[in-house]
Amino acid sequence: MTLRKKQIYSAAEMDRAIGDMAAAIAAAFPISNGGCALVGIHQFGVPLAERLHDGIVKLTGSEPEFGKLDISMYRDDIGNRNPLPLIRETEIDFDINDRTIVLVDDVLSSGRTIRAALDALTDYGRPKAIRLAVLVDRGEPEYPIRADFVGFKVQLPADRKVAVSFDDDNRSGGIDEVDWTK
Amino acid sequence: MQWTKKDLLCLYDLSAEEIEFILDTAAEFKKVSQRRVKKVPALRGKTVVNLFVEPSTRTRVSFELAEQRLSADIVNMQAQSSSLLKGETLLDTVRNIEALQVDLIVMRHSAPGAQAFIARNLKCGVVNAGDGAHSHPTQALLDIFTIREKKGRVAGLNVAVIGDIIHSRVARSNIWGLLKLGAKVTVAGPATLVPREFEEIGVRVCHNLKDAVADADVVNLLRIQRERQTAGFFPSIGEYARFFGINNDTLKYMKPDALIMHPGPINRGVELTGDVADGEQSVILEQVTNGLAIRMAVLYLVAGCVKK
Repeated sequence: MTLRKKQIYSAAEMDRAIGDMAAAIAAAFPISNGGCALVGIHQFGVPLAERLHDGIVKLTGSEPEFGKLDISMYRDDIGNRNPLPLIRETEIDFDINDRTIVLVDDVLSSGRTIRAALDALTDYGRPKAIRLAVLVDRGEPEYPIRADFVGFKVQLPADRKVAVSFDDDNRSGGIDEVDWTK
Repeated sequence: MQWTKKDLLCLYDLSAEEIEFILDTAAEFKKVSQRRVKKVPALRGKTVVNLFVEPSTRTRVSFELAEQRLSADIVNMQAQSSSLLKGETLLDTVRNIEALQVDLIVMRHSAPGAQAFIARNLKCGVVNAGDGAHSHPTQALLDIFTIREKKGRVAGLNVAVIGDIIHSRVARSNIWGLLKLGAKVTVAGPATLVPREFEEIGVRVCHNLKDAVADADVVNLLRIQRERQTAGFFPSIGEYARFFGINNDTLKYMKPDALIMHPGPINRGVELTGDVADGEQSVILEQVTNGLAIRMAVLYLVAGCVKK
């Protein structure tokens, strides 16, 4: 199996998009109205959520609550696919009841991850509202899931993956189109 | 790495990475039981049969609860009320169970190797809840998880396992797991129950309690069964307690932060006094909590590898 990667957005373009998304989220949920809480979905939704969190702090001076969510226990395909990877850390140590939660993920494709994330959040409480922020929206979800804050809209054939990368310090690494061939 | 096995049979078969993988997975499942909604849909629609040919209360309840918290459907079968009494072979019994489209069998049996035998012959997953004196992998995993959680590591620690080592699957599984993760293991007890041969697998053998526990970071006490006294392994329970029981005086010559562990059920006044069992160094109840998390992790991982 060989891997062919082609960059579709540079690190600089990624930075700009993340900055725009942070501004849009800050504007949509002013602190005067209760603000919002960010919950990043593992794996790359977490560094993205951390970047958005920092962006919002810079813009507004206030810190939205921050959580991380691993949806492995809520997947709909356990036993149907390949072996399961390691479950990463879920940490939602604030009360989500009556709050506006912005779920953050790197790529929206089938929508099933978000479906699982909604089920997971529901086990933690009853938010006032849940919104979705994604860096890349592939535009053809299998489930009726829509993103509210989008960095890039990307249309690719189904056999291509979109890979968003961050380094260990959350710096943007660019967005690639990936072709897995046998 | 990824988990690729449909069965959990013995820690001897696992690499250090695989053991750590289970522990890391269990750390996340532990949080589920601490939430308001203590359930996740991970095993929804999957069927688990608890086949306890050798009876158990605590392990069976722990597995049952783990399965329920994973949203699985459960069937409990005990040997006393099963077709095994009518002379059906073990293999026929489990093949019949598999024919009901069961995904996992959690089994305890008095014959060592029984679970490995059926696992080879079944497509569904098999989790070993104890096979004779051979193996009790989930107990050792929860013990090691407890150690790792409390001490931050396993490698380099001195762990002393005290008691009826020769008859103990808990001891054997702990030894395999701890050695793989780099701990130094001492086994101790009366010479009739702790033969020198155990040195061949890389543990220190000791017949003196003080010698065994003075430098221990962790002391794991195994339950003494009354049947051993009648079989002549030691003169009396009282004598066992006098020479190998842990009390407040023992604690005085041990490390002050040494953990006191016991797989349960404890015999107060035998393996340890009530004071020690209820004292600050005891993590016995946490072992029970951690056992639930470990079993949820194991069931989740093996279920993910059972092919349709």
